[in-house]
Amino acid sequence: MKALTSIALGFAFGAILIFSEAFHWYRIQEMFHFESFHMYGLLGSAILTGVISVQILKRFKVKSVYGAELKLVEKEPRRLGNIIGGLIFGMGWSLTGACSAPLIILAGWKWEIGLIGLGGALLGTLTFGLVKNKLPK
Amino acid sequence: MTTLPWYIGGPLIGLMVPLILILREKQLGVSSSFRYIGTFILPNRDYFKYDKKKDLWQVQFSVGIVLAAFVFLSGGIASPVEIDTDSLYGEQESNIYSISNWLVFLIGGFAVGFGARYADGCTAGHCIMGNSLLNRNSMITTICFFIGGLAVTYFVLPNIEIL
Repeated sequence: MKALTSIALGFAFGAILIFSEAFHWYRIQEMFHFESFHMYGLLGSAILTGVISVQILKRFKVKSVYGAELKLVEKEPRRLGNIIGGLIFGMGWSLTGACSAPLIILAGWKWEIGLIGLGGALLGTLTFGLVKNKLPK
Repeated sequence: MTTLPWYIGGPLIGLMVPLILILREKQLGVSSSFRYIGTFILPNRDYFKYDKKKDLWQVQFSVGIVLAAFVFLSGGIASPVEIDTDSLYGEQESNIYSISNWLVFLIGGFAVGFGARYADGCTAGHCIMGNSLLNRNSMITTICFFIGGLAVTYFVLPNIEIL
């Protein structure tokens, strides 16, 4: 049941990224060229909705469907990781016109190029695992 | 189907945050699914010896994302993106997903995977989820996403041949 819920949530998330075109190379290039408000409006209103939602969840101590209190955990600071990792991630975002979820969408649509992008992401993840201890935190 | 306008699509993306919290007791994220897969390939590396059960849901979440692509894109329900071919990148777009650009996607994908792990999150985990928690590090990371993206957009993409 939990697995099905996760799949359904992913399906909804994927559908929103597809119909709002956020998964597409062109929309990402347009954003980085400041030629359209679309992506800024999309990300901005998503964050605003998220902020308000989190405040409401906290205020009314909303519980999960399993009756547990919701744990909201902030990611631990990585200092250089946030900055250098963020810069590297951004470069990949522009090159492929896709971040993680859109790469997964590509793999299901233009599967040849999508699987290469996704394979690259897996290689990047594995490489990070290999060199993690040598990198500044 | 026309494009879902930002003022509908954006709030829907934002609503994924409380939905996933309430229905799955998880915080929105995608790229930890790559780490989960990595545990099967490099099981002996420290980084991949972790409590991977907590990330299994992201793999299932990713399966849902692929299914959405099958249904809506491969199934032809979502229309192709309208491209302004007069712009530089509009011209490039027509063939961007051609297999001849495999090297661009391999390197770009690598950067996405490596960068997301180094920064401990991607657009979902930092830009949407982290910022929803008003986390300062997620704000810094989001800004860095943009700086890296702008650098490639202005200094790299114009100089490489997209076939």
